[in-house]
Amino acid sequence: MKQIELKICLGTSCYVMGSSHLHELVDMVPSRFGDIVNVVGHNCLGQCSKNLEAGGPPYVQVDDEIIPDASIEKVLQYLEIKLK
Amino acid sequence: MTRKQWRKQAAGCPAMFIDIDYAQVKKYNQNAYGDYFSSKRVPGRVIAVLSDGLGSGIKANILSCMTAIMLLKFIDAGADIKKACEIIMNSLPVCKVRKISYATFSALDCRDDGETHIVEEGNPQFIWIRDGQVLETMPQIVPSETFSKRKMQLYDLKLMDGDRLVFCSDGVTQSGLGSPELRLGLRRDGLIDFVLKKIAVKPDISSRELSKTVVNFAQNTEIDRKAQDDISAVSIYCREPRKSIVFTGPPYHNGQDGKYAALFKEFTGKKAVCGGTTSNILARELNTPVNIKVSFTSGSLPPPMEMEGADLVTEGILTLTRALEYLESPEVVVNEDAAGQLVRFFLESDCIDFWVGAKLNQAHYDPSLPVEIEIRKNVIKKISKLLEEKYIKKVSLQYI
Ligand code: FES
Repeated sequence: MKQIELKICLGTSCYVMGSSHLHELVDMVPSRFGDIVNVVGHNCLGQCSKNLEAGGPPYVQVDDEIIPDASIEKVLQYLEIKLK
Repeated sequence: MTRKQWRKQAAGCPAMFIDIDYAQVKKYNQNAYGDYFSSKRVPGRVIAVLSDGLGSGIKANILSCMTAIMLLKFIDAGADIKKACEIIMNSLPVCKVRKISYATFSALDCRDDGETHIVEEGNPQFIWIRDGQVLETMPQIVPSETFSKRKMQLYDLKLMDGDRLVFCSDGVTQSGLGSPELRLGLRRDGLIDFVLKKIAVKPDISSRELSKTVVNFAQNTEIDRKAQDDISAVSIYCREPRKSIVFTGPPYHNGQDGKYAALFKEFTGKKAVCGGTTSNILARELNTPVNIKVSFTSGSLPPPMEMEGADLVTEGILTLTRALEYLESPEVVVNEDAAGQLVRFFLESDCIDFWVGAKLNQAHYDPSLPVEIEIRKNVIKKISKLLEEKYIKKVSLQYI
């Protein structure tokens, strides 16, 4: 199976909205899903200036999909469904 | 602005940079320095005065401080250094008991092109070093009109890239006085010997470090390391300036991105990028990826990133704001976070050129953000003022 890339946005807006707490994903994700998901930090994903209807920062990007208002639970849940 | 004009402006740094610093040790058992050093960097030149007050402790401190500051102000205000020194020499009172002048001094006026004037009154003669050798020059002697025994020495030099000057108070040349090995103290020869050896080992030693080592050496030369007099050393090093640029914020017109990215790439000094969007622009234009090292390590700042062709890449406004705090604190605390690395970047440069993108990031002014985010331009202004005034750097700002 192809590896999935998970980017945690560490840009200014996301950072002040709490993306720094998402760093736990770095350990959590591999222990739960194995090496299939590669977690990396990323600078501004360019979402914060888009005024997304769906929700605001912090953003996490999984491959091409954006998860707004990301929290640890939300991201794990998302992966759970995606990898099923 | 054409590229050529731009480059000229960006290179607003002289061909030679005068690195000046000093170090001191108090006389043993005293609680104030009896020597005083004061310097100022004004456009195109550096002026400095080292004064040694008669005696030691508070009294000497006041005498030397007054002499140094008056003289510096005098020269700074546009007076010719010789004239200024002469007036001070003629007016400095003489101690009734000891019949010697209340304070001695060395004054220096050094221009970016190397033209240098030095005036000494009573301090040990300075040392001029070029290519590992001492150059001797004959002074012109000006006797005092008011005091028969007092005279000052004038020197006119032309410094070149790589030259060094070392000034000291007599606490250095007389260190070790009376010890079995050095009955007459270290003297100028002993100091020359030490400095030449030091430079041979470390040819590009900074002025700060050299003056520190001289002072330490003098103190170590004293019996039991107890300084018998105030010990001060001032060092000057003419060298090529360490130039750097800090690119922060996206250029106002999108159409200019490519131009600035190219200029950034061409620049030969050290380069820092502060800002996620800015680094994204550079990555796009120069076709090099930006990577975050996901070691979400220390503290409360986004970690630094990596990009080929840049020495440091950080997030923007939060990091800059924190760097400003570090620079403002009396003792620079350099944490290992991105702001700390940025501060180190600043301190390791002589001429810093800020390219400040004028585009605002709307997302930062969203009222729902939990913190207030400062406007980049203001933070940069404060940083550059501090770098100029407190850290004696040459700073230029360009809004792009
Ligand atoms: S800061 Fe995260 S998308 Fe801009």
